[in-house]
Amino acid sequence: MKGPLFSTAILLVGVYVFLAFLLPLVTAPLPASLIYLYLAITLSGAMIYQTMSAGGLEAFMGPIYRFLSGEIDGPAKSARLLLLIVFPLLVGWQTYTKLAPSDLPPAENRTIHPAPPGEFVGLANPYPANEQNIQEGKGIYAANCSPCHGPNFDGKGTAAPGFNPPPANFADPGTIAQLQESYLFWRIKKGGVGLPIEGMPWKSAMPRWEHELTDEKIWKVIIGEYDGAGQSPRTWEEEE
Amino acid sequence: MVDRYENMKHWLTSFRTGLCLTLMCVLPVSLAGSVYASDPPPEGAPASVSVRVYLSEGAVPIDDPQSSAWDSVAESEFNLSPQVHWPDRLQEATVKKVKVRGLHDGQNIAIRVEYQDPTQDDADAAALEFMVGDQKAHFAHGQEMLLVEGGPVNIWYWKNETGTATDMSAKGFKTIKPQAQQDVSAKGVWENGTWKVVFSRPLETGDEQDIQINPGIWTSVAFAFWDGKLVDGSVKEKGSQKAVSSWWSFRAEPEPDNSIFGYVVLGLLIAAAFEFFLVRKLRKGQAV
Ligand code: HEC
Repeated sequence: MKGPLFSTAILLVGVYVFLAFLLPLVTAPLPASLIYLYLAITLSGAMIYQTMSAGGLEAFMGPIYRFLSGEIDGPAKSARLLLLIVFPLLVGWQTYTKLAPSDLPPAENRTIHPAPPGEFVGLANPYPANEQNIQEGKGIYAANCSPCHGPNFDGKGTAAPGFNPPPANFADPGTIAQLQESYLFWRIKKGGVGLPIEGMPWKSAMPRWEHELTDEKIWKVIIGEYDGAGQSPRTWEEEE
Repeated sequence: MVDRYENMKHWLTSFRTGLCLTLMCVLPVSLAGSVYASDPPPEGAPASVSVRVYLSEGAVPIDDPQSSAWDSVAESEFNLSPQVHWPDRLQEATVKKVKVRGLHDGQNIAIRVEYQDPTQDDADAAALEFMVGDQKAHFAHGQEMLLVEGGPVNIWYWKNETGTATDMSAKGFKTIKPQAQQDVSAKGVWENGTWKVVFSRPLETGDEQDIQINPGIWTSVAFAFWDGKLVDGSVKEKGSQKAVSSWWSFRAEPEPDNSIFGYVVLGLLIAAAFEFFLVRKLRKGQAV
């Protein structure tokens, strides 16, 4: 089967498969609206290309005209009828979904790891991760952090259930294993209220520990936290 | 033989044209549809994420926690935490969960909280907290945020001892105080270890220290409960020692909007008319 119309359809399906299924294998999935936009651009590009030559217009549009006007027979005739019925219904459905009031609160895209203020970038932990500091850090953790972050460092403390967002689960590779000690120092010292606007500071129950813990204790609790959670901090070398 | 072959070719052409066209139309439209689909709720999240205050047919049961009108609307349920966010902390609180229902009639709003507390005590208390205006406020009494300019909170506080509500404001720890203009009422009934407390107020109060409730607009609500039981002569939970939640979504439902069905029909008609004229023009053999 050949013809400009058919190759255009193949092209569109190909571009769709590439954007929607192949690309996410190597990078983050594209939002559907962007895929839609790229398909629209592909379609108009293909149409311009196919109809440029003399006779191209007829070759491209002719089958469409004949199909739509009904000068055809066989199963295409039923396909045409189906299309004529389905198209208005789709328009109606689109109108409905666009206008229908949603019962759900608007989605909030809270950035979990926003960029820290400059003065908290690249600080090194002045205390070594030796046995004594690990034990001291775990003691500070048990006294202050475990009600929320849990005795098992998994975010399931007895005081966790009422908070939204929930206390971070340090055993999850998506939290402190991705972060540098410097970043934790900022988060623990300034707490939820220290987050920039994209982190939605008004929702966070993470206390601002600078009022209650010295810098020394904060560095040591970081050591205890990594050890207890079985994670290690991200280092500068990995950043490069 | 040749005829047959021609027929077959013709048939195939029209078939694939139909296929292509259907693909070209259906693919973008269904894609566009998926743009509006919402995300699934996060794993492990509690059952409720919002309080919806339903529009009531009749009068709102502003001073009846046991009215059957409450049974007519869906409830939300939220977990609570002992307050461990700032000193003085509490390691375990009596109230673990709260069930919430809401009703309004376009004039007044009533919100009922229902929770377990094994003993009825004078110092038992409950509170609702809201953000005021458009400015975001931290759930802990609108405490100062370091990089974001925060707003005040409006707190509706009920205590069993007085049997009434106090309309309060706060912007930061230790700033909470009763407002000059009191707009909130409350009524609580304790039965078999369960408190049902109704808070009520006009949707709009004209007081700039208050939340103004506009049906249809999403905002935030948080909860707090104190078990006033006497333990060794002192009250078990008071002040910052209480059961709390952080912010959840809150909305008074708007009037149902039937105009959208008009637009749907209009969309259908326009699409059908477009088809009709297109096909007619093609049939007449005119170039489009
Ligand atoms: C009142 C409950 C509570 C207590 C107590 C608490 N946290 Fe948190 N913490 C949270 C919540 C909720 C979050 C998630 C929201 C946020 O990131 O601000 C969080 C986030 C964090 C993060 C950020 C993790 C990430 O992936 O971004 C760190 C680090 C942290 N807490 C450390 C601590 C340490 C150390 C202590 C004890 C000194 C502590 N927390 C005590 C509630 C608490």
